[in-house]
Amino acid sequence: MSITINLHPTLYQFTSGQTTVKVKGNTVGQCLDDLIRQFPQIKRWLFDKTGKLHNYVDIYINQESSYPEELAKTVKDGDELYITLIIAGG
Amino acid sequence: MLTKAERERYDRQMMIKGFGEEGQTKLKQGKVFIAGAGGLGSVTTTYLAAAGVGTIRVVDHDKVELSNLNRQILHWDEDIGKKKVASAAEKLTRLNPRVQVEAIEEVITKANISQLVAGFDLIVDAMDNLPARYLLNKVAIERNVPFFHGAVHGFEGRAMTIIPGETACLRCVYRGAIFEGKFPVIGVTPGVIGCIQATEAIKYIVGIGQLLTNRLLVYDGLNMKFTEFRVKKDPNCEHCGELARGKK
Repeated sequence: MSITINLHPTLYQFTSGQTTVKVKGNTVGQCLDDLIRQFPQIKRWLFDKTGKLHNYVDIYINQESSYPEELAKTVKDGDELYITLIIAGG
Repeated sequence: MLTKAERERYDRQMMIKGFGEEGQTKLKQGKVFIAGAGGLGSVTTTYLAAAGVGTIRVVDHDKVELSNLNRQILHWDEDIGKKKVASAAEKLTRLNPRVQVEAIEEVITKANISQLVAGFDLIVDAMDNLPARYLLNKVAIERNVPFFHGAVHGFEGRAMTIIPGETACLRCVYRGAIFEGKFPVIGVTPGVIGCIQATEAIKYIVGIGQLLTNRLLVYDGLNMKFTEFRVKKDPNCEHCGELARGKK
């Protein structure tokens, strides 16, 4: 079971410049857990202190929105996740 | 009906297949509401005025500051201290005197938004914060008016077109407020995203092409990538879902 996570450029600083990371998991939540296991500093960018995803985190499975209830969404071998960050400037 | 001067002025765009004099007449009759006269607002208003949109209402409460000038291309050195909407109206009128520009200096609020957008056919999002975008998204749905979303940060931008009742809205995709403060940005980013929003608005008015609906376009200028994400209408959306419609 291998899932590829495409990271937002803001997160490259925590992965030594890696733009994608291979993870294992059956749900988006499990994949993020594995990502954090590999790169612990990413955790605070994704989750608040109560363990909820920050409002600015935007996750897609194979380029399709996983919102709402993203963490519970199932994934299968070969899927690609995209972590993007919601922006608001004008 | 177009005048001789208008036929000459818009000749090149009327040559586009599916556009013609009919499309240009639709633009002339078009009334576009633009929320914000900053980075995105500078670009969207400029290209909509150049294309010959008949009426443009631009709303902003800020005054021009030196730190705006790297990206807010409607405002120049000589405009520092002026109202942004006055500066915008002056440039747009000089660019195309045939366009009626309505400049309103107001903060967009829940209390005044309905009145501000009344009578306008399209709403363009050129704001710099999510709460104001949610207000625009909601009023667009309530009034059944298309909404053209854009946002920028650094070298990154996003755009999406919303057709009320038919496509995913901003609230179907975004979960709520985010931290907002002074954000980094370079002028080319609102240049790219504002042009996409203006393109969408023109296509909608003329009635040609495929709109950026149920698709969120994310632009990464640093790596020069455009990525398209599919988004879906959320039946439980608090702005456009079943419950929201029931509350109206």
